Amino acid sequence: MVVVIGFEGSANKIGVGIIQDGVVLSNPRRTYITPPGQGFLPRDTAKHHQGCVLQVLKEALDQAKLNPNDIDAVAYTKGPGMGAPLVSTALVARTVAQLWNKPIIGVNHCIGHIEMGRLITGSDNPTVLYVSGGNTQVIAYSQRRYRIFGETIDIAVGNCLDRFARVLKLSNDPSPGYNIEQMAKKGTKYFELPYTVKGMDVSFSGLLSYIEERVPQILKKGEYSPEDLCFSLQETVFAMLVEITERAMAHCGSQEVLIVGGVGCNERLQEMMGKMAEERGATLFATDMRFCIDNGAMIAQAGWEMFKSGQITPLEETWCTQRYRTDEVEVTWR
Amino acid sequence: MQHKNSMEEVDEERSLTMDLSVPFSSIREAEIAYRTLSVDKEPKRGGVKKTFTLNEKVLQIHFQAKEARTLRVSVNSFLDHLTLVTQTIEQFGPPVDT
Ligand SMILES: [Fe+2]
Repeated sequence: MVVVIGFEGSANKIGVGIIQDGVVLSNPRRTYITPPGQGFLPRDTAKHHQGCVLQVLKEALDQAKLNPNDIDAVAYTKGPGMGAPLVSTALVARTVAQLWNKPIIGVNHCIGHIEMGRLITGSDNPTVLYVSGGNTQVIAYSQRRYRIFGETIDIAVGNCLDRFARVLKLSNDPSPGYNIEQMAKKGTKYFELPYTVKGMDVSFSGLLSYIEERVPQILKKGEYSPEDLCFSLQETVFAMLVEITERAMAHCGSQEVLIVGGVGCNERLQEMMGKMAEERGATLFATDMRFCIDNGAMIAQAGWEMFKSGQITPLEETWCTQRYRTDEVEVTWR
Repeated sequence: MQHKNSMEEVDEERSLTMDLSVPFSSIREAEIAYRTLSVDKEPKRGGVKKTFTLNEKVLQIHFQAKEARTLRVSVNSFLDHLTLVTQTIEQFGPPVDT
Protein backbone atom coordinates (compact mmCIF):
# COMPACT_ATOMS: atom_id res chain seq x y z
CA MET A 1 0.00 0.00 0.00
CA VAL A 2 1.44 3.33 -1.06
CA VAL A 3 -0.09 6.63 0.05
CA VAL A 4 0.94 9.91 -1.58
CA ILE A 5 -0.22 13.43 -0.71
CA GLY A 6 -0.19 15.99 -3.52
CA PHE A 7 -0.04 19.80 -3.42
CA GLU A 8 -1.24 21.87 -6.40
CA GLY A 9 -1.16 25.65 -6.61
CA SER A 10 0.15 26.62 -10.06
CA ALA A 11 -2.78 28.89 -10.97
CA ASN A 12 -5.82 30.23 -9.09
CA LYS A 13 -6.72 26.98 -7.31
CA ILE A 14 -5.02 25.59 -4.25
CA GLY A 15 -5.63 21.90 -3.72
CA VAL A 16 -4.34 19.08 -1.52
CA GLY A 17 -5.25 15.50 -2.40
CA ILE A 18 -4.41 12.07 -1.04
CA ILE A 19 -4.19 8.93 -3.19
CA GLN A 20 -3.83 5.40 -1.93
CA ASP A 21 -3.11 2.92 -4.73
CA GLY A 22 -5.49 4.44 -7.26
CA VAL A 23 -8.14 5.46 -4.73
CA VAL A 24 -8.80 9.13 -4.04
CA LEU A 25 -9.08 9.42 -0.26
CA SER A 26 -9.57 13.19 -0.22
CA ASN A 27 -9.20 16.11 -2.60
CA PRO A 28 -10.26 19.47 -1.12
CA ARG A 29 -9.47 22.75 -2.91
CA ARG A 30 -10.16 26.48 -2.89
CA THR A 31 -10.43 28.86 -5.84
CA TYR A 32 -9.26 32.45 -5.88
CA ILE A 33 -12.16 34.30 -7.48
CA THR A 34 -11.62 37.85 -8.74
CA PRO A 35 -14.34 40.45 -9.48
CA PRO A 36 -16.00 40.45 -12.95
CA GLY A 37 -13.73 41.92 -15.61
CA GLN A 38 -10.55 41.12 -13.67
CA GLY A 39 -8.01 38.36 -14.10
CA PHE A 40 -5.88 36.92 -11.31
CA LEU A 41 -2.41 38.34 -10.73
CA PRO A 42 0.52 36.25 -9.43
CA ARG A 43 1.07 38.14 -6.15
CA ASP A 44 -2.60 38.26 -5.15
CA THR A 45 -3.02 34.61 -6.07
CA ALA A 46 0.02 33.68 -3.96
CA LYS A 47 -1.48 35.59 -1.01
CA HIS A 48 -4.73 33.70 -1.46
CA HIS A 49 -2.93 30.35 -1.44
CA GLN A 50 -0.81 31.31 1.58
CA GLY A 51 -3.97 32.23 3.45
CA CYS A 52 -5.76 28.91 3.01
CA VAL A 53 -3.28 26.16 2.11
CA LEU A 54 -2.90 24.96 5.71
CA GLN A 55 -6.67 24.75 6.20
CA VAL A 56 -6.95 22.76 2.95
CA LEU A 57 -4.12 20.47 4.10
CA LYS A 58 -5.91 19.85 7.39
CA GLU A 59 -9.13 19.01 5.53
CA ALA A 60 -7.28 16.60 3.25
CA LEU A 61 -5.85 14.68 6.23
CA ASP A 62 -9.15 14.73 8.17
CA GLN A 63 -11.29 13.58 5.23
CA ALA A 64 -8.83 10.78 4.45
CA LYS A 65 -8.80 9.86 8.17
CA LEU A 66 -5.03 9.63 8.01
CA ASN A 67 -2.12 10.62 10.19
CA PRO A 68 1.02 12.02 8.64
CA ASN A 69 2.83 8.77 9.49
CA ASP A 70 0.46 6.86 7.14
CA ILE A 71 1.83 8.86 4.21
CA ASP A 72 4.69 7.46 2.11
CA ALA A 73 5.62 10.48 -0.01
CA VAL A 74 4.85 14.15 -0.61
CA ALA A 75 4.29 15.38 -4.18
CA TYR A 76 4.06 19.02 -5.29
CA THR A 77 3.69 20.89 -8.57
CA LYS A 78 7.09 21.96 -9.85
CA GLY A 79 5.61 23.74 -12.89
CA PRO A 80 4.52 25.00 -15.33
CA GLY A 81 2.51 27.85 -13.85
CA MET A 82 2.75 31.21 -12.11
CA GLY A 83 5.95 31.60 -10.08
CA ALA A 84 4.71 33.09 -6.81
CA PRO A 85 1.74 30.72 -6.32
CA LEU A 86 3.92 27.71 -7.24
CA VAL A 87 6.56 28.67 -4.67
CA SER A 88 4.01 29.30 -1.89
CA THR A 89 2.62 25.81 -2.38
CA ALA A 90 6.05 24.18 -2.65
CA LEU A 91 7.13 25.77 0.66
CA VAL A 92 4.42 23.88 2.53
CA ALA A 93 5.22 20.62 0.73
CA ARG A 94 8.93 20.97 1.57
CA THR A 95 8.20 21.79 5.20
CA VAL A 96 5.84 18.86 5.85
CA ALA A 97 8.10 16.44 3.96
CA GLN A 98 10.85 17.30 6.46
CA LEU A 99 8.57 17.43 9.52
CA TRP A 100 7.21 13.98 8.70
CA ASN A 101 10.51 12.71 7.30
CA LYS A 102 9.08 11.66 3.90
CA PRO A 103 10.59 11.77 0.41
CA ILE A 104 9.44 14.60 -1.85
CA ILE A 105 8.64 14.46 -5.57
CA GLY A 106 8.42 17.40 -7.99
CA VAL A 107 5.62 16.79 -10.49
CA ASN A 108 4.97 18.29 -13.91
CA HIS A 109 1.46 19.76 -13.77
CA CYS A 110 0.49 18.53 -17.27
CA ILE A 111 1.59 15.00 -16.40
CA GLY A 112 -0.61 15.27 -13.30
CA HIS A 113 -3.63 15.96 -15.53
CA ILE A 114 -2.78 13.08 -17.85
CA GLU A 115 -2.23 10.49 -15.11
CA MET A 116 -5.37 11.57 -13.25
CA GLY A 117 -7.39 11.32 -16.47
CA ARG A 118 -6.03 7.84 -17.15
CA LEU A 119 -6.77 6.72 -13.59
CA ILE A 120 -10.34 8.06 -13.44
CA THR A 121 -11.45 7.01 -16.93
CA GLY A 122 -9.49 3.76 -17.19
CA SER A 123 -8.24 4.73 -20.66
CA ASP A 124 -5.06 2.88 -21.53
CA ASN A 125 -3.13 4.72 -24.19
CA PRO A 126 -5.15 7.74 -25.27
CA THR A 127 -4.35 10.70 -27.43
CA VAL A 128 -4.69 13.51 -24.90
CA LEU A 129 -6.12 16.97 -25.40
CA TYR A 130 -4.98 19.15 -22.51
CA VAL A 131 -6.95 22.38 -22.44
CA SER A 132 -6.87 24.96 -19.65
CA GLY A 133 -6.31 28.62 -18.88
CA GLY A 134 -2.55 28.18 -19.27
CA ASN A 135 -2.13 25.29 -21.67
CA THR A 136 -3.40 23.90 -24.97
CA GLN A 137 -1.65 20.75 -26.13
CA VAL A 138 -2.37 17.55 -28.04
CA ILE A 139 -0.23 14.83 -26.50
CA ALA A 140 0.50 11.18 -27.26
CA TYR A 141 2.75 8.74 -25.47
CA SER A 142 5.68 7.23 -27.27
CA GLN A 143 9.00 5.83 -26.07
CA ARG A 144 8.95 7.00 -22.47
CA ARG A 145 7.74 10.54 -23.18
CA TYR A 146 4.44 12.31 -23.44
CA ARG A 147 5.11 13.93 -26.79
CA ILE A 148 3.45 17.15 -27.86
CA PHE A 149 1.93 16.71 -31.31
CA GLY A 150 0.26 20.07 -31.53
CA GLU A 151 -0.20 23.11 -29.35
CA THR A 152 -1.19 26.74 -29.33
CA ILE A 153 1.34 29.08 -30.84
CA ASP A 154 0.13 31.99 -28.70
CA ILE A 155 -2.46 32.00 -25.88
CA ALA A 156 -4.21 29.01 -24.30
CA VAL A 157 -7.81 28.30 -25.25
CA GLY A 158 -8.95 28.81 -21.65
CA ASN A 159 -7.19 32.16 -21.59
CA CYS A 160 -9.03 33.13 -24.79
CA LEU A 161 -12.40 32.19 -23.23
CA ASP A 162 -11.57 33.88 -19.90
CA ARG A 163 -10.54 37.10 -21.60
CA PHE A 164 -13.68 37.15 -23.67
CA ALA A 165 -15.72 36.61 -20.51
CA ARG A 166 -13.98 39.68 -19.07
CA VAL A 167 -14.96 41.72 -22.13
CA LEU A 168 -18.59 40.78 -21.51
CA LYS A 169 -18.07 41.38 -17.74
CA LEU A 170 -19.27 37.87 -16.91
CA SER A 171 -18.80 36.62 -13.36
CA ASN A 172 -15.63 34.68 -12.48
CA ASP A 173 -17.69 32.53 -10.12
CA PRO A 174 -17.36 29.54 -10.33
CA SER A 175 -15.23 30.26 -13.40
CA PRO A 176 -15.48 32.53 -16.45
CA GLY A 177 -15.42 29.50 -18.77
CA TYR A 178 -18.39 27.92 -17.01
CA ASN A 179 -20.40 31.10 -17.44
CA ILE A 180 -19.52 31.33 -21.14
CA GLU A 181 -20.69 27.74 -21.52
CA GLN A 182 -24.07 28.54 -19.93
CA MET A 183 -24.50 31.65 -22.11
CA ALA A 184 -23.52 29.70 -25.25
CA LYS A 185 -26.34 27.22 -24.65
CA LYS A 186 -28.78 30.07 -25.31
CA GLY A 187 -26.98 31.33 -28.42
CA THR A 188 -28.42 30.51 -31.85
CA LYS A 189 -26.93 32.85 -34.44
CA TYR A 190 -23.41 32.09 -35.64
CA PHE A 191 -21.06 35.03 -36.02
CA GLU A 192 -18.24 34.12 -38.40
CA LEU A 193 -14.82 34.20 -36.71
CA PRO A 194 -11.28 33.61 -37.99
CA TYR A 195 -10.40 29.92 -37.86
CA THR A 196 -6.66 29.41 -37.40
CA VAL A 197 -5.18 25.94 -37.64
CA LYS A 198 -1.58 25.74 -38.85
CA GLY A 199 -0.64 22.12 -39.41
CA MET A 200 -0.80 20.55 -35.97
CA ASP A 201 -0.96 23.87 -34.15
CA VAL A 202 -3.67 26.39 -33.34
CA SER A 203 -3.75 30.13 -32.68
CA PHE A 204 -6.30 32.04 -30.63
CA SER A 205 -4.93 35.55 -30.17
CA GLY A 206 -5.96 36.83 -33.62
CA LEU A 207 -9.44 35.46 -33.14
CA LEU A 208 -9.70 37.02 -29.69
CA SER A 209 -8.68 40.50 -30.83
CA TYR A 210 -10.99 40.18 -33.85
CA ILE A 211 -14.03 39.57 -31.65
CA GLU A 212 -12.86 41.99 -28.90
CA GLU A 213 -12.65 44.85 -31.39
CA ARG A 214 -16.11 44.19 -32.79
CA VAL A 215 -18.07 43.46 -29.62
CA PRO A 216 -19.19 47.02 -28.75
CA GLN A 217 -20.47 47.65 -32.31
CA ILE A 218 -22.15 44.29 -32.68
CA LEU A 219 -23.99 44.59 -29.39
CA LYS A 220 -24.98 48.19 -30.10
CA LYS A 221 -26.47 47.21 -33.44
CA GLY A 222 -28.27 44.35 -31.73
CA GLU A 223 -27.57 41.97 -34.61
CA TYR A 224 -26.09 39.39 -32.28
CA SER A 225 -26.69 38.88 -28.57
CA PRO A 226 -23.89 38.21 -26.03
CA GLU A 227 -25.23 34.63 -25.98
CA ASP A 228 -24.74 34.36 -29.77
CA LEU A 229 -21.15 35.57 -29.40
CA CYS A 230 -20.37 33.04 -26.65
CA PHE A 231 -21.89 30.33 -28.83
CA SER A 232 -19.90 31.41 -31.90
CA LEU A 233 -16.64 31.63 -29.96
CA GLN A 234 -17.06 28.16 -28.48
CA GLU A 235 -18.06 26.56 -31.79
CA THR A 236 -15.03 28.04 -33.53
CA VAL A 237 -12.31 27.32 -30.97
CA PHE A 238 -13.63 23.83 -30.20
CA ALA A 239 -13.77 22.94 -33.91
CA MET A 240 -10.10 23.93 -34.15
CA LEU A 241 -9.23 21.73 -31.15
CA VAL A 242 -11.17 18.76 -32.51
CA GLU A 243 -9.42 19.12 -35.86
CA ILE A 244 -5.88 18.96 -34.47
CA THR A 245 -6.83 16.15 -32.06
CA GLU A 246 -8.24 14.11 -34.94
CA ARG A 247 -5.07 14.67 -36.94
CA ALA A 248 -2.93 13.41 -34.05
CA MET A 249 -5.18 10.35 -33.65
CA ALA A 250 -4.89 9.55 -37.34
CA HIS A 251 -1.12 9.95 -37.15
CA CYS A 252 -0.81 7.65 -34.14
CA GLY A 253 -3.54 5.23 -35.16
CA SER A 254 -5.11 5.89 -31.78
CA GLN A 255 -8.50 4.51 -30.76
CA GLU A 256 -8.84 6.54 -27.58
CA VAL A 257 -9.07 10.25 -26.89
CA LEU A 258 -8.87 11.76 -23.41
CA ILE A 259 -9.71 15.37 -22.59
CA VAL A 260 -8.09 16.87 -19.48
CA GLY A 261 -7.68 20.35 -17.98
CA GLY A 262 -10.18 22.95 -16.83
CA VAL A 263 -11.74 23.54 -20.26
CA GLY A 264 -12.15 19.75 -20.54
CA CYS A 265 -15.30 19.78 -18.42
CA ASN A 266 -17.07 21.89 -21.06
CA GLU A 267 -19.90 19.65 -22.24
CA ARG A 268 -20.05 21.17 -25.71
CA LEU A 269 -16.37 20.37 -26.26
CA GLN A 270 -16.99 16.83 -25.02
CA GLU A 271 -19.97 16.52 -27.38
CA MET A 272 -18.02 17.71 -30.44
CA MET A 273 -15.06 15.49 -29.58
CA GLY A 274 -17.42 12.55 -28.95
CA LYS A 275 -18.91 12.94 -32.42
CA MET A 276 -15.49 12.95 -34.05
CA ALA A 277 -14.43 9.89 -32.02
CA GLU A 278 -17.60 8.03 -32.97
CA GLU A 279 -17.01 8.66 -36.67
CA ARG A 280 -13.54 7.17 -36.32
CA GLY A 281 -14.76 4.24 -34.26
CA ALA A 282 -12.78 5.56 -31.29
CA THR A 283 -13.76 6.15 -27.67
CA LEU A 284 -13.90 9.48 -25.86
CA PHE A 285 -12.83 9.70 -22.22
CA ALA A 286 -13.46 12.76 -20.09
CA THR A 287 -13.80 13.61 -16.41
CA ASP A 288 -15.99 16.00 -14.47
CA MET A 289 -15.10 19.17 -12.57
CA ARG A 290 -13.68 17.34 -9.57
CA PHE A 291 -10.77 15.99 -11.59
CA CYS A 292 -10.63 18.13 -14.76
CA ILE A 293 -10.04 21.34 -12.91
CA ASP A 294 -6.67 21.63 -11.14
CA ASN A 295 -6.64 19.60 -7.93
CA GLY A 296 -4.23 18.05 -5.45
CA ALA A 297 -5.09 14.42 -6.19
CA MET A 298 -3.78 14.68 -9.75
CA ILE A 299 -0.37 15.69 -8.41
CA ALA A 300 -0.58 12.87 -5.85
CA GLN A 301 -1.41 10.38 -8.63
CA ALA A 302 1.50 11.40 -10.89
CA GLY A 303 3.68 11.47 -7.76
CA TRP A 304 2.47 7.96 -6.87
CA GLU A 305 3.53 6.65 -10.31
CA MET A 306 6.90 8.40 -10.07
CA PHE A 307 7.51 7.19 -6.51
CA LYS A 308 6.63 3.58 -7.37
CA SER A 309 9.07 3.69 -10.27
CA GLY A 310 11.82 5.08 -8.05
CA GLN A 311 11.75 8.78 -8.92
CA ILE A 312 12.20 11.16 -6.02
CA THR A 313 13.56 14.72 -5.91
CA PRO A 314 16.46 15.72 -3.61
CA LEU A 315 15.20 18.52 -1.34
CA GLU A 316 17.81 20.99 -2.62
CA GLU A 317 16.37 20.48 -6.12
CA THR A 318 12.74 21.10 -5.24
CA TRP A 319 12.61 24.51 -6.89
CA CYS A 320 9.75 25.59 -9.11
CA THR A 321 9.85 26.53 -12.74
CA GLN A 322 7.30 28.61 -14.64
CA ARG A 323 8.15 26.83 -17.88
CA TYR A 324 8.27 23.05 -17.78
CA ARG A 325 7.37 21.19 -20.92
CA THR A 326 5.40 17.96 -20.79
CA ASP A 327 8.01 16.17 -22.93
CA GLU A 328 10.88 17.08 -20.57
CA VAL A 329 9.82 14.34 -18.14
CA GLU A 330 11.04 10.79 -18.63
CA VAL A 331 8.04 8.53 -18.10
CA THR A 332 9.56 5.74 -16.01
CA TRP A 333 6.22 4.16 -15.05
CA ARG A 334 4.86 3.04 -18.42
CA MET B 1 26.44 26.42 7.32
CA GLN B 2 26.29 29.09 4.63
CA HIS B 3 24.37 29.25 1.45
CA LYS B 4 24.47 31.93 -1.23
CA ASN B 5 21.29 32.41 -3.11
CA SER B 6 21.68 34.67 -6.08
CA MET B 7 22.39 34.56 -9.78
CA GLU B 8 24.21 37.83 -9.93
CA GLU B 9 26.96 39.41 -7.90
CA VAL B 10 26.00 42.63 -6.17
CA ASP B 11 28.68 45.19 -5.39
CA GLU B 12 28.99 45.12 -1.56
CA GLU B 13 30.26 48.67 -1.12
CA ARG B 14 27.57 50.45 -3.09
CA SER B 15 24.61 48.42 -1.97
CA LEU B 16 21.88 48.47 0.64
CA THR B 17 21.93 45.67 3.17
CA MET B 18 19.55 44.27 5.72
CA ASP B 19 20.05 41.55 8.30
CA LEU B 20 17.35 39.37 9.73
CA SER B 21 17.60 36.92 12.63
CA VAL B 22 14.88 34.34 13.09
CA PRO B 23 14.92 32.22 16.26
CA PHE B 24 13.27 28.78 16.29
CA SER B 25 12.37 26.56 19.21
CA SER B 26 14.82 23.81 18.24
CA ILE B 27 17.85 23.27 16.04
CA ARG B 28 15.88 20.78 13.99
CA GLU B 29 13.09 23.28 13.28
CA ALA B 30 15.58 25.97 12.34
CA GLU B 31 17.20 23.49 9.98
CA ILE B 32 13.85 22.63 8.36
CA ALA B 33 13.07 26.31 7.78
CA TYR B 34 16.55 26.87 6.40
CA ARG B 35 16.36 23.93 4.01
CA THR B 36 12.85 24.96 2.89
CA LEU B 37 13.52 28.66 2.36
CA SER B 38 16.95 28.43 0.76
CA VAL B 39 15.83 26.36 -2.25
CA ASP B 40 14.24 29.14 -4.34
CA LYS B 41 16.55 31.41 -6.28
CA GLU B 42 16.06 35.17 -6.41
CA PRO B 43 14.89 36.34 -9.86
CA LYS B 44 17.91 36.79 -12.13
CA ARG B 45 17.42 40.46 -12.86
CA GLY B 46 16.09 41.35 -9.38
CA GLY B 47 19.48 42.68 -8.30
CA VAL B 48 19.10 41.20 -4.81
CA LYS B 49 21.48 38.79 -3.09
CA LYS B 50 20.29 36.70 -0.19
CA THR B 51 22.72 34.82 2.04
CA PHE B 52 21.56 32.29 4.63
CA THR B 53 23.50 31.35 7.74
CA LEU B 54 22.27 28.77 10.21
CA ASN B 55 23.50 29.34 13.75
CA GLU B 56 22.08 26.60 15.98
CA LYS B 57 18.47 27.64 16.63
CA VAL B 58 18.78 30.93 14.76
CA LEU B 59 18.42 31.38 11.02
CA GLN B 60 20.15 34.50 9.76
CA ILE B 61 19.47 36.07 6.41
CA HIS B 62 21.61 38.79 4.88
CA PHE B 63 20.01 40.81 2.09
CA GLN B 64 22.00 42.91 -0.29
CA ALA B 65 20.46 45.01 -3.06
CA LYS B 66 21.18 47.87 -5.41
CA GLU B 67 17.90 49.64 -4.84
CA ALA B 68 15.54 50.13 -1.89
CA ARG B 69 12.63 49.15 -4.10
CA THR B 70 13.96 45.72 -5.02
CA LEU B 71 15.15 45.16 -1.46
CA ARG B 72 11.65 45.82 -0.16
CA VAL B 73 10.06 43.42 -2.66
CA SER B 74 12.53 40.70 -1.77
CA VAL B 75 12.25 41.15 2.02
CA ASN B 76 8.44 41.38 1.86
CA SER B 77 8.06 38.17 -0.04
CA PHE B 78 10.64 36.47 2.18
CA LEU B 79 8.66 37.44 5.29
CA ASP B 80 5.46 36.05 3.75
CA HIS B 81 7.28 32.80 3.03
CA LEU B 82 8.78 32.68 6.50
CA THR B 83 5.34 33.15 8.08
CA LEU B 84 3.92 30.30 6.01
CA VAL B 85 6.77 27.96 6.95
CA THR B 86 6.52 28.87 10.64
CA GLN B 87 2.76 28.29 10.65
CA THR B 88 3.23 24.95 8.90
CA ILE B 89 5.72 23.86 11.57
CA GLU B 90 3.36 25.02 14.34
CA GLN B 91 0.31 23.25 12.90
CA PHE B 92 1.88 20.10 11.44
CA GLY B 93 4.97 19.64 13.62
CA PRO B 94 6.86 18.95 15.74
CA PRO B 95 9.31 17.08 13.53
CA VAL B 96 9.33 13.29 13.91
CA ASP B 97 12.53 11.62 15.09
CA THR B 98 14.84 10.79 12.24
FE1 LIG C 1 -4.15 22.61 -15.12
